[in-house]
Amino acid sequence: MIHWLIVNVVCPFFGTIAFAVMFNVPNRFYTSCGVIGTLGWLVYCVTVNPTSPAVASFFGTLIVVLISRVLTVRMKCPITMFMIPGIFPLIPGASVYYMAYDLVMSETDQAGEIGFVALKIAFGIVLGIASALSIPRDVFSMEYWRNRRQKG
Amino acid sequence: MRFQKITENKKEYLDLLLLTDPQEDMIDRYLDTGDMFALYEGKELCTLAVVTLLKNRECEIRNLVTTYGHGGRGYTRAMIHFLSEYYRNECDTMYVGTWNYGESLRVYKRCGFEYSHTLQNYYVNNYHEPIYLDGEQMTDMVYLKKPLDADVDLKKVVNLALNAGRILLKNGAEIFRVDETITRICKRYHVENVDTFVLSHGIFISASKDGEDVFTKVKHVPLSSTNLEIVAEVNDLSRRITAGMINLDEAIEALDRIEQMPPKKDWQLILASGVGSGTFGYFLGASAAESVCAFFIGCVLYIWVLFAGRHKLSKILVNIVGGILITTLAVCIYVTIPIPMKIDGMIIAAILPLVPGVAFVNAIRDIADSDFLSGTVRMIDALLVFVYIAIGVGFALSVFSNWIGGLGV
Repeated sequence: MIHWLIVNVVCPFFGTIAFAVMFNVPNRFYTSCGVIGTLGWLVYCVTVNPTSPAVASFFGTLIVVLISRVLTVRMKCPITMFMIPGIFPLIPGASVYYMAYDLVMSETDQAGEIGFVALKIAFGIVLGIASALSIPRDVFSMEYWRNRRQKG
Repeated sequence: MRFQKITENKKEYLDLLLLTDPQEDMIDRYLDTGDMFALYEGKELCTLAVVTLLKNRECEIRNLVTTYGHGGRGYTRAMIHFLSEYYRNECDTMYVGTWNYGESLRVYKRCGFEYSHTLQNYYVNNYHEPIYLDGEQMTDMVYLKKPLDADVDLKKVVNLALNAGRILLKNGAEIFRVDETITRICKRYHVENVDTFVLSHGIFISASKDGEDVFTKVKHVPLSSTNLEIVAEVNDLSRRITAGMINLDEAIEALDRIEQMPPKKDWQLILASGVGSGTFGYFLGASAAESVCAFFIGCVLYIWVLFAGRHKLSKILVNIVGGILITTLAVCIYVTIPIPMKIDGMIIAAILPLVPGVAFVNAIRDIADSDFLSGTVRMIDALLVFVYIAIGVGFALSVFSNWIGGLGV
């Protein structure tokens, strides 16, 4: 259990923050970036077994972008801050390697198959971003105003 | 923050006005003829001002009061800025008469007012009771004046907007954000007719004002490294400009300051690259030993990336050599260290700092916003980087597999 937590919560958290540092995200957003990256990865983990990597990427991205949008409205900053580091755990970097490896080993069929899976994952991410972004901005700010009024 | 002109029941605000002008019949002299403005934050009234028009295109702020508990948050400055904009077309000079008291003089001077003249013993002659502030009796009224330039410098505004857009685009903002920022800044400074066309590598802008000549500028924006902190700061600045908190010169100065902001230090970036590689490797399925190796490979990789950036090497070279470097290091570790490790775990983790995350995500965003041209360009950029990495890794793998005869993957 503890091992699982370290692998699937602590690692994505600090990994996402590391990439946030590389993109010069302001210090005050580090924690949010880490949380978003972790949640995206957890959603991917939960959904990847019953479905496929592409569908799981879609759901992971959806969560990442939705939380990013809520935080964007709340913290008044560009959504890019959270979205780019948050999506990093879902990017199919491994496929690039396996494809190159199979091509070198002259296993063209397998390389094509892996490339196709990578493409499907990329499309899952594209769909996730596009569908979460197509929700009008007002939905997020309406909630924001309602919360503020309750607090005040 | 919201400004409102109050035309009815001005008397309701009397108790507020009395804070800065303590005698009712003096207020009555200007309350009916003057224009009253209120600044609201949410539903709360923060600042109230009364202005009267004088002869010869001049006007005077007769009363300016910020409610108790809202001081020190820039509301007074915002109000003065708003009034300057409001009377810009009607008047050339704005006056304000205030008591000879350090704090209030300082506030006005910070907003661009200069000393004009003094009315000796004004408060003694016109008010029934002596006025005390901090135990000191107020006698003279000091007049300050501020020129309201009727025409904004079109070129200055467009240059500011273009500069803001360039900085945003250069540091990894989406097309629509650049577009929106430019239009907003121009509109705020009364340049109404503005057209922009933003691409991933350039900005075209043309603007005109009141039928004057059209001012057009084209700016090439070469690719460079991402700095999201600068994007956040420029976004914040544009927000403040739109809210009317700062004037044109202050905005230009602030933008310069933002551009000078230093990026993260080299050692921080190298360390971040290592940590990113190590942790990502671990949760993507590498063993602990492989992750530690990925950490070191990630650090070395980023030293190369930074070196390449300093010498402006092309993207093709950076990524192909990066791929070769990663693979070579991984194979070296695999051969020299006698712990059972797999090469693929190390390589997959160490590739990640090269992955073009910003280009990929921005490409998708641009396409989702229907900026197809820029979206396509950025997407090709991202895909090519993937291909370069694969070429680098593949090249090194083929060399090594010929040498040592097959890899234990």
